[in-house]
Amino acid sequence: MLGTRKYSAPPGHRIVLIGNPNSGKTSIFNALTGARQKVGNYPGVTVESKEGAYKFEGESFDVYDLPGTYSLTCYSPEERIARQEIMHPKPDAAVVVVDSTNLERNLYLLVQVMEMGANCILCLNMSDEARKAGQQIDVEKMSTLLGFPVVETVAHKKLGIDGLKEAIAQAVSDPADPERLVLGDRLDRAISDVEPMVAGAQWRSLFKPFPRWAAIKLLEGDIEAIGWIQENCEDHAAIIKHAQNIAETLAESTGMHPGLYIADRRYGFAAGLLREARVTGMRADARKVSDWIDEVLCHRLLGLPFFLVAMYVIFWLTFTMGEYPMAWIEGGFDFLASWFNQVLGGESILCSLIVDGIIGGVGGVVVFLPNILLLYLGLAFLEDTGYMARAAFLMDNLLHRFGLHGKSFIPLITGFGCTVPGIMATRTLENERDRLTTMLILPLMSCGARLPIYMLLIPAFFSDELQAPMLWMIYIIGIVLAAGLARLLRSTILAGEDAPFVMELPPYRMPTFKAMLSKMWERGRIYIHKAGTIILGLSIVLWALSSFPSKTDYAVDSEIAAGVPLSAEETAARRNAEDLEYSIAGRIGGVLEPVIAPMGFDWKIGTALFGSFAAKEVFVAQMGIIMSLGETDEESDSLRNALCDQYSPLVAFCLMLFLLVATPCIATVAITRREAGKWKWALLQFGGLTALAYVLSVAVFQIGSLF
Amino acid sequence: MAKIETGALTGSLEDYLETIYLLICDRKVARVKDIAKARDVKMSSVTPAMRRLAELGFVVYRQREFIELTDEGEEVARKTMARHDLLVRFFHEILRVSSQSAEKDACAIEHILSDETTEKLVRFFEFLRACPRASGDFLKTFHGCSVINPDVAECTERQCDFQRRGRRKGARKGVTSLAAIEPGHECVIVQVTAKGAIRQRLIDMGMLPNTPVFVERKAPGGNPIWIRLKGFQLSLRKEEAAGVDVTV
Repeated sequence: MLGTRKYSAPPGHRIVLIGNPNSGKTSIFNALTGARQKVGNYPGVTVESKEGAYKFEGESFDVYDLPGTYSLTCYSPEERIARQEIMHPKPDAAVVVVDSTNLERNLYLLVQVMEMGANCILCLNMSDEARKAGQQIDVEKMSTLLGFPVVETVAHKKLGIDGLKEAIAQAVSDPADPERLVLGDRLDRAISDVEPMVAGAQWRSLFKPFPRWAAIKLLEGDIEAIGWIQENCEDHAAIIKHAQNIAETLAESTGMHPGLYIADRRYGFAAGLLREARVTGMRADARKVSDWIDEVLCHRLLGLPFFLVAMYVIFWLTFTMGEYPMAWIEGGFDFLASWFNQVLGGESILCSLIVDGIIGGVGGVVVFLPNILLLYLGLAFLEDTGYMARAAFLMDNLLHRFGLHGKSFIPLITGFGCTVPGIMATRTLENERDRLTTMLILPLMSCGARLPIYMLLIPAFFSDELQAPMLWMIYIIGIVLAAGLARLLRSTILAGEDAPFVMELPPYRMPTFKAMLSKMWERGRIYIHKAGTIILGLSIVLWALSSFPSKTDYAVDSEIAAGVPLSAEETAARRNAEDLEYSIAGRIGGVLEPVIAPMGFDWKIGTALFGSFAAKEVFVAQMGIIMSLGETDEESDSLRNALCDQYSPLVAFCLMLFLLVATPCIATVAITRREAGKWKWALLQFGGLTALAYVLSVAVFQIGSLF
Repeated sequence: MAKIETGALTGSLEDYLETIYLLICDRKVARVKDIAKARDVKMSSVTPAMRRLAELGFVVYRQREFIELTDEGEEVARKTMARHDLLVRFFHEILRVSSQSAEKDACAIEHILSDETTEKLVRFFEFLRACPRASGDFLKTFHGCSVINPDVAECTERQCDFQRRGRRKGARKGVTSLAAIEPGHECVIVQVTAKGAIRQRLIDMGMLPNTPVFVERKAPGGNPIWIRLKGFQLSLRKEEAAGVDVTV
């Protein structure tokens, strides 16, 4: 809540950046702070927080990039966080970044920041584009009228950044006493009627709201602000009653609901300011080219095919261009593994830890890095050109039926490659409920790591003509379950009013390569960080579980002693199998057998399932080891034959079904925890999907066994 | 007859009296069970009401026995019924409200009307039906007025204030929701009727009264829609656009 956050004074001046989505706020942030930034989440919510710093003329400035918002109401977590950051701790300066090509609506936000009594600086971004379209602003006049600095910038070309830094430094050292915001006689009178009572009130909290802002919120009927006043103000009842009376009078005299009237006056202020300070406006046909492109790309019939082609091209580029660096990384890890094998002698526990545990575990994740980076580059392109908003527009009708949002489409389709970047791509979703729903169902998009499992099992158990339909069916089952689950989530734990889809469609813009790269890197590094920390740690744990305790007397040795002829290779394979069976993982598999028996699984499958938690494709290798077949992959016929001997096609189907639905891999659980901000969601995803998989597989196996 | 203390008698108790009266007329007796059935309530809620009515002296009620109306009770019941009938007929016959609505509305307001208003209404009703100077023509003119009855042709009387006011109201017929506007058409916002977060977002986006809006296109499947206003472009779902009243 307001003002309850603990805060230790930062060493530098506290500067907040605020602006509409698509105003180029992030570019300004990058231009100001360069590489020195910290990306995280606000505690407990899925809203991204960004901090950076820079030095100017010997003084240091800490910059906080607030979430992009259109307004500062209490209706979304982004807006609540933004206004809280503007109020407390009070920033030394608030830079309001506006899109110069769309001033009227962007200035609406400025008015709200001014209402809060912030020390404002207005940053007219994308001024080159506006000027090209014929708009001319008298910056000096605007600054005089507003009573604080106004700066023109072109963030992605780094134009005007020095001027902005200077304006910030000046504003910090000499806080302008902004002229009283004039919102029109009637409203100003109403505000002045309420304001003194707020100013003179006794507060229980250390933080005291800016009286004028509190007065406006009281008139508007802002639920959060009023709730806070009730909690923290001694004479809240009298103040609220008084404000209600004034609001009623205002409604009577204007014939409008006070909230609407205040919004109307804010727009009035913006229009008035532009009338005074805008020399010439934008030409009417400024968006001509962009509109023409939309005529084609968002055509009612052609729009969807274009979109699908665009997605196909991005995925195709991702996977074909990704192949080369993937091969290099694989080669690198193979080289490392063999080098360690040589140096450490191959048999020691340390060697096994490094080669099987660390290199195997981390290598398996890092190898997807090129794909992920390329995919992010592609998505950054779609975002920065403005096409992403169009894609959401085109897809929303379909997705909304399942309680999702048009923007859910990109993360979901990314999930077919790998769930981890898919979950990270949910950041484009503004609303928390939409984001969580998308995240929770994402593992049902059958990821690339599950493909080897299908490639092993399907040819082993199903005849040629059934193979393709079988694979298709598995993917479809995932999609259908995801759709059903999304609906279920949205009508139970994530129930609630739909967030407004009301979304801006900015004109198409040519993205700069640098901006795209920085976006790609910002997300890619989280993936690397993940591989270096949690995945590394869990890989070691899983390695230990499947290596200890180590067995010393092997059954195969007594067989050899008894004169059974076995080749060295066969002996080693048998020993590995016995090792795994003897290990904790093997024992867990054994203990789990009664639990997984209703699905038709035995302890061998149980042990391999345990390994699949590290990464799904590990299942294939584990199955090979436990069947005493030595090194195997999904193309291995010996493994297929061995599986065929022991299991029925029904078990194979249940196994695929189980692996499709159950137990997202470690990386997914970890990234869900990170992106959702709470363990609760990661555990719900993990537990919920595993339970669903269990119920489905048991049902299929039990019913299937009847025939 | 004693003046009834209606202050203590709530609408629901009046309804009970009416029910008892009807039951007695119909079957000669009224039992708690019958009353509960007739009013479609639980027997457990009838009993306290009976006790209260007995306290007020409108019924004679002893447990497990038939319920009888006292003289006062019968008077109130009859009055209530008469008022009800009158209101139903006024709504239906004079105002031409459908008989269902008339019945429902009569039930809702019959307990609230004061004796004085009821009396005046009765007089007005009788006047309309009986007065040779006004009756026929007066009602015929009223029912034939195009402002009241959309089925008749528009009145040509130019001097009529009532017509003019009606026409202004009629102009509201041009008000439709933004969701109904076809692509390629422009309209002007009259008001935002949506509630909560969506209302706030629409307002924040500048969808204020008197703002012109141009509908650019619709997505495949007709939803969401794509609009242009104040020099920028927005998409919104049909459900959201339905909360914006516009005029073409």
